[in-house]
Amino acid sequence: MKRTVPLVIGMMFGLFALAEFYVPHHLVGDLSDEFRSWAAILGAAAFILGGVNILQVSWPKIRRREEDWPYKVVLLASAAIMLLVGLPWHKLGSPATAPTIGARVVDPAVAARGHAVIAIDVPADVTYQVGKTIGAGAASQVAVEVEPGKVAIKLSRRLAGYRALEGEVTVAAGDVVTVGGDPPMLWGKDGRVFVWIYDHIFSPANATLFALLAFFVASAAFRAFRARNVEAALLLGSAIFMMLGRAPLGGAISDIFPDVAQWLLDVPSNGGRRAIMMGAAVGAIATGLRIVLGIERQHLGSDA
Amino acid sequence: MSAPHWSERLQRFDRRWIFLVMAVAVVVPLFLPLGLPVKPDRMTKAAYNAVEALPEGARVFVSVDLDPAATPEIEPYYRAVILQLKRKHARLVFATTWYQAPPLLERYLRETVEVAIAPAGTEGYSGLPDRPYRKHVDYVNLGFREGKSAIIQAFGSDLRGAFDNQADDGTPLDRIPMMDGITRLSDFDLVVLVSAGSPGAKEYVQFVGTRYKLPMVAACTAVSTTDLAPYVQTGQLLGLVGGMAGAAGYESLVGKPGAGTTGADVLNIGNLVVIAAIIFGNVVFFAGRRHRRRGGRP
Repeated sequence: MKRTVPLVIGMMFGLFALAEFYVPHHLVGDLSDEFRSWAAILGAAAFILGGVNILQVSWPKIRRREEDWPYKVVLLASAAIMLLVGLPWHKLGSPATAPTIGARVVDPAVAARGHAVIAIDVPADVTYQVGKTIGAGAASQVAVEVEPGKVAIKLSRRLAGYRALEGEVTVAAGDVVTVGGDPPMLWGKDGRVFVWIYDHIFSPANATLFALLAFFVASAAFRAFRARNVEAALLLGSAIFMMLGRAPLGGAISDIFPDVAQWLLDVPSNGGRRAIMMGAAVGAIATGLRIVLGIERQHLGSDA
Repeated sequence: MSAPHWSERLQRFDRRWIFLVMAVAVVVPLFLPLGLPVKPDRMTKAAYNAVEALPEGARVFVSVDLDPAATPEIEPYYRAVILQLKRKHARLVFATTWYQAPPLLERYLRETVEVAIAPAGTEGYSGLPDRPYRKHVDYVNLGFREGKSAIIQAFGSDLRGAFDNQADDGTPLDRIPMMDGITRLSDFDLVVLVSAGSPGAKEYVQFVGTRYKLPMVAACTAVSTTDLAPYVQTGQLLGLVGGMAGAAGYESLVGKPGAGTTGADVLNIGNLVVIAAIIFGNVVFFAGRRHRRRGGRP
């Protein structure tokens, strides 16, 4: 039972996925979409399993003070922080969604001009949009003259991670209406803390690691790229033509470099790549058939 | 005891000198640009022409599948193609299959879609100006979905279902007029793939591109160019913008030089340093081999 049930499930879904390509009936398509939703859910669930796995692997090493255990602490702490800031805590409360409409007075001078005034009272780092007028908050109130009628108002911060306050106010000629508000900070994946960590920690660290490649490639070019035989010499020659041909410098020296680089890409590289891709595809088909037909059972675990 | 041969000494020299030379080669061109003319290659021109051939107001799906590490190479293309699409008043639908991408995509939307990239009077730009796009009127962000190739297949057959029929901010897609008539990828006039790896352009080609006959263009990192170039030859991709050099070429076609063009200078000098390192390393290697063959001490 332990082996047969997973095997039968695998066979059923595998054969269905195969048949789907050849049966254009909408019911088959609908069922396929449903199965793909399951696959997406399973993919998302794998993140949870991954989290549990990291905990299972790292915690014992920290407890036993094994080699590099402080790195595991950093790993777990970082994961915990991201989990906490990634939750939408703001939904626990009821943060404002619209600007606050304050005092309304009538100014004869404004009425004489046939206009109304919206007095924006927001912090300096908040930008406002009153009708089509856009501006930034200031230490004192900012007066925006508008036509009487319904006026759309939006208060937001330039920084990501804050909820914009949007609303409408109806004004008559001569009205001076005070509008205020402070766009609240959000939590969760669009929240201020999450975005700050992403922008100021994850992005630079991620980019730095990738950028280090330039230095290692230069070092490896000196130490390892040797023309020890004809094949290696051909590889080095191609690499030099590609590096010159794919940068503007090559074209500036001679049109030969971009032309040769393009030929190398179009003919030998694409030919070789296509051969590898076709071979891998045939291998994938064979492996898929072995799994679907129950010949290959390694994916079921060591007990199978 | 005689001193080691010069080739032997050079083979053991501190590699931090190479790091220093590379650092100088990367930094100096940023401040003292060479300004060499950038010539777009054939695949880049094909990608540009595919966008140019779109009708006004075309519906375009943009899959932003990248992380911050790939931004220096791919972001210049993204900015250039968005400007080109906005000039054609294309209606844009964004999505991503990379969990690292959503905050990046949000930033891109704020910086390139919700504001004009090249408003009238932009210095050094003579093309048509673009305008700020309005959320759910001119563009929709569907956000991120996990599922890798399976979710890309779902985009192909039921895009709305894959996103639970709602945009990233929870707005039901049925309430967004620009989404009328869009249920799957084949409802778009073009699919633009801003792709730094897997899942990305390769999976789109393999799982949905050919099956649903989707017109697709892609941009990728330089190392992925050889992976994707065969798909351009077969017509499965209408064009391909490879790495920073490709992005610089694309910027020159769009007419607004940016980070790609600046980066092309870094590429020029950086590549020269690598080539010099290869030649220098081989001179040292062959000198050492010759010395040993003549009976010299290793």
